[in-house]
Amino acid sequence: MAGLRPIKFRLLELFTDEKEHWNNEIVTQIQKEYNMNSNFGRDSINFDILELASGGMLKSVESKVDEDGVYKKGFLLHKYVITDFGKVRSSDACLEYV
Amino acid sequence: MDIRELKKLENKRKMNKGYMWALFCAILWGIWYIPGTIIWAVPPFDSMWVAIDATHGGSMATIAVALLISGFNALTVIAALLVWNGVLGKFGEMKRTLKEFHPCSKWFFLASIFGGPIAILGSFIAIGFIGAGFAAVAALLYPVIGSVLARQWYGENISKRAWMGILVIIVGGLTIFVGGAITEITSGSINYIGYIGGLMAALGWGIEGAIAGKGLDIAEPDVGITIRFLGEASIYWIILIPIFALIGYPMFEYALAAFNPLSLIVLGFAGITFGYCYVSWYKSFPLIGVGRGQGIGNLYGLCAVIFMYLFMAQVPAWTVLVGGALCVLGSFVMISEETGDAESLRGE
Repeated sequence: MAGLRPIKFRLLELFTDEKEHWNNEIVTQIQKEYNMNSNFGRDSINFDILELASGGMLKSVESKVDEDGVYKKGFLLHKYVITDFGKVRSSDACLEYV
Repeated sequence: MDIRELKKLENKRKMNKGYMWALFCAILWGIWYIPGTIIWAVPPFDSMWVAIDATHGGSMATIAVALLISGFNALTVIAALLVWNGVLGKFGEMKRTLKEFHPCSKWFFLASIFGGPIAILGSFIAIGFIGAGFAAVAALLYPVIGSVLARQWYGENISKRAWMGILVIIVGGLTIFVGGAITEITSGSINYIGYIGGLMAALGWGIEGAIAGKGLDIAEPDVGITIRFLGEASIYWIILIPIFALIGYPMFEYALAAFNPLSLIVLGFAGITFGYCYVSWYKSFPLIGVGRGQGIGNLYGLCAVIFMYLFMAQVPAWTVLVGGALCVLGSFVMISEETGDAESLRGE
């Protein structure tokens, strides 16, 4: 389904393996899948990750400063893991509980 | 600076961005009341009112004109939002999100029912019956409804301080409604439909925000808001306006006549201000939560009263001023709480 579903759906899907992932790695993968290779595309995907974390679906378990410029030099990188709430939202992607 | 400090700074930056979006929303929303008021005096809407008044009475004329204006408002908002999404290159994401009806876009369509024929139509009814100043301030109650629902439906954090702000806003809302109604009753007449319009706006926008917050969990705000307006425009142009036409109101005749330069300019101005105000509103929710986003967005009432005074020389009644001031004070109480290190807006 890569590239076919809304980006936030796909982001949640990538985290459903329940492993920890660095945001820059996920951003790079989505950039490839959705052909969003510009800096704007990169930042837009990262912002989607931030919104998912802000909404309580992902949580940051580790952070480090991007010394090597793998994402943006001097930027704070986060390692995220899906939360229980995020699992609910990704499993049915679905809002049935309202 | 250590990592903890950096994280705190990043969190603060994110919250500030959310507040900035909500403030943009308040300013643009306030400006919207200028075209929202002027449009009533622009052809063909002015002559439409006179024609329907002659056959069905003033109240029905105001409602029918409000409906047609709301229909055009939704169309120009969509035009503005398509430009916005085009510039951001989000048409692909829009298509993908629209396709996901069951898990996602149904929430935006549901939001469009409350935000459109209930809130926006209600607001135009309040403008038509009582005036823009009243309509703007009457809807100031909406964050109370939005915050309570966001808490009930999906556990968004609401602190004691936020509840305090909500209480102040309720007192402000009562001052506007009860104070205004008493003044009108003592003067012998009451525009009760206008008050119902104001209440529709407050309820509609509050419920819309809470529902949209759900859809925004898994959709991008720029895309979500466009889908929401596609829903609203469909309700007007496929359901409500044809029903009014069928029961004998000259809706389509005047709709065609609306394609004149002056009307299109005013409607275009309404579409741009409202479209971008709504984008800002939706963009603030994932960052600061529905409660805070609506709390800051509520400053639109103050902006509207200021813009209406500056550009239209409209001085509001004292009850509107006092009630509006209380609502704004309540908004400040709501948003001035310390957010601490909280990364999530939910109560985990």
